[in-house]
Amino acid sequence: MISKIGFIVNPVAGMGGKVGLKGTDGVLKQAIQLGARPIASDKAVETIKGFISNYSTKDKMQWFTCSGKMGGNELKKAGINKMEIVYTPTSKDTSYLDTKNACKKLLEKHVDLILFCGGDGTARDIFEIVSTKLPILGIPSGVKMHSGIFGINTSASAKMLYEFVNNRLTIGDVEIMDLDEEQYRKGNWNIKLFGIAKGIVEPTYVQVGKTTYESVSDDEIKDELTEHILDEIEQNCDFLFLFGSGGTIDYVARKLGIQNTLLGIDAVYNKKVVGSDLNEENILRLLEKYPKTKVILSPIGAQGFILGRGNLQLSPIVIRKIGLDNIIVISTPSKLASTPVIRVDTSDIKLDNEFAEKEFMMIVIGYRLSRVVKIQTNNF
Amino acid sequence: MGEGLIMKRNSNAFLKEEYDELVKKNFNWKLRILETGSTPHSVVDGKEVIMLCSNNYLNLSNHPRLIQSAINAAKKFGAGSGSVRAIAGTMKLHMEVEEKLAKFKGIESSLIYQTGFAANAGLIPQLVGKEDVIISDELNHGSIIDGVRLTKADRAVYKHRDMGELENILKDADKKYNRILVITDGVFSMDGDIAPMDKIVEISREYGAMTYVDDAHGEGVIGPDGRGIGAHFGIEGKIDVEMGTFSKAYGVVGGLIAGSQDLVNFAYNKSRTWLLSGSHPPSVAGAQLAAIDVLETEPEHVKKLWDNTKYFKKELNSMGFDTGESETPITPVIVGESSKAKELSNRLYDEGIFALPIVFPMVAKDKARIRTMMNAGLTKEDLDFTLERFEKLGKKLGII
Repeated sequence: MISKIGFIVNPVAGMGGKVGLKGTDGVLKQAIQLGARPIASDKAVETIKGFISNYSTKDKMQWFTCSGKMGGNELKKAGINKMEIVYTPTSKDTSYLDTKNACKKLLEKHVDLILFCGGDGTARDIFEIVSTKLPILGIPSGVKMHSGIFGINTSASAKMLYEFVNNRLTIGDVEIMDLDEEQYRKGNWNIKLFGIAKGIVEPTYVQVGKTTYESVSDDEIKDELTEHILDEIEQNCDFLFLFGSGGTIDYVARKLGIQNTLLGIDAVYNKKVVGSDLNEENILRLLEKYPKTKVILSPIGAQGFILGRGNLQLSPIVIRKIGLDNIIVISTPSKLASTPVIRVDTSDIKLDNEFAEKEFMMIVIGYRLSRVVKIQTNNF
Repeated sequence: MGEGLIMKRNSNAFLKEEYDELVKKNFNWKLRILETGSTPHSVVDGKEVIMLCSNNYLNLSNHPRLIQSAINAAKKFGAGSGSVRAIAGTMKLHMEVEEKLAKFKGIESSLIYQTGFAANAGLIPQLVGKEDVIISDELNHGSIIDGVRLTKADRAVYKHRDMGELENILKDADKKYNRILVITDGVFSMDGDIAPMDKIVEISREYGAMTYVDDAHGEGVIGPDGRGIGAHFGIEGKIDVEMGTFSKAYGVVGGLIAGSQDLVNFAYNKSRTWLLSGSHPPSVAGAQLAAIDVLETEPEHVKKLWDNTKYFKKELNSMGFDTGESETPITPVIVGESSKAKELSNRLYDEGIFALPIVFPMVAKDKARIRTMMNAGLTKEDLDFTLERFEKLGKKLGII
């Protein structure tokens, strides 16, 4: 079967990095003045070249891209001449609007996947148009790459593309994260969870016969996680449960009949919501009322953060009140496959050290099934 | 269907649908038919081949003493046992096997199950329950996994043979659970490596955890004269449950456990598979008895198996094949991509060698392999013939 791949390069992605800026959104001129050079083009060519030379499946592919430095040039440089140009940027200085317009055109072409080269900002722009209609795969080239849709390097992205074309990877939930610009302007460097996109992930397999395995869908695993959490809630009926943010926890909450906030923190007592989309202050107030509390978290984004990215409401004071032993971390095995360590960055060195001293955490990966995973803090 | 009846649903349409789906994905088992016994040279689907897929490591299934003992037992005690062990199906012969086996392994007591699967599926769920935890190696065999699924206990998985991870889980489990059971394969069937049982026992004892090893591929193969994994590490009787099988190196059929008398008393009173299945026919028990006897008195079979294994591995490695971490007669020949492993297996069969490919997702995507299992009945000429074919095809397919 032919795979239709949409390809977008954000030519200015990553230019802020070497000159100490947190991205290029709105500061491109400043970046250039500081001596920034484009890097996305080379990364894109490297990935496509790697894909073609190692995986010789180019005959199975049909490419849809933008003209010039938004993809067309890179495909040609990598040796692909057969492509359909679906979008031409209006000015030679491209912006996020060009990325968004290109995505609209790719949606019209019903491509199977959007492969893009950029950073968190580019991912967010694409997600705003594509939402969960199409899977997205990122070639890392930005300054910030917290979103879960990037390969860890160009060759990993090339390999993932190959696996996807050959039906060996499946489609699953991945987080789109970026700097919270509002907070950034106030001088705070906060990474916010913007949404849950469709990415390509490693399937989970279970052995069904002596030498036969079947892949289990992420939803089936999440059903198991739901059963597990239900048991936890029923066995600890005097506890308040805080539901963290992200796709896995949202799925579990909804299956339990809890109206959950995908990107926020909610509180549940006796299976009833007692607080929605809570900020730190609201949570602390609830903790006064409910001294026994457990919090359910799941790794967020590419680096496997459970605290410190996308959930700053769970501040050091909140975590201390809840207690480290009352943190339940759940994850699908496919997610753990891409995040072999669990990261914590509470912005409180003492608390981070308490996590570091634990060295590892038990992560629930199925019904009554867990796996030990190392904890990494920024203090290492 | 009678006239006038309305069919509510097509009650059994799924049988064909699901089978057809398996066929479509090429996941269905295509049974290979042996026209001979499971011998070093077997006839498989009409073709004579050197057998490298059988678990009959010591070629005991064809040993005259086993065959004779089976015949004698059948003549004396009949074709069947007439009952489950618990009611009226325990013959003196069954008891003799258990006594002889325990003595051979240097362990207080033993119990025979109908199969290895029946041992795992019957015993594991009785050892742990609610408020308990099972800690399991990630590469454990499917029958352990099924046994584990039947329990109400929590489960935690550690990275393959990673003692650091095991200890981390034990530390955590020690605080939270009542009983703790650490469970592992002895010899891992895909890679042929051995669980570090001495360390597992040491760490587990420190945290008050029980240990359970599925030694199906080690029984009759590792340890002095094939006495199994406990003897291999010199820790006989220290593993709480040494589970094994008569179906592989012993050349017969049946599962077994060895441990304390307390374990055996507990196991046969609690294991539902044992309590609810008919006992082995006298011929099986007779052959089992002879198999232990052969191991005790004819050490040449185990020695030959290891001589063959060492020679085969050494030659494969010198040709440039990657045989992974194997320490046992299971020698994987790692070739990379799944399609290459399938191709090599097909071509080997054409050349008269029967060895199956093991492909993703059973093993990592780039670690597809041919799994070979050595046999004590193969001669040096057989091995040289096999090695010469491996070398020829390995070069042709660009593996070496």
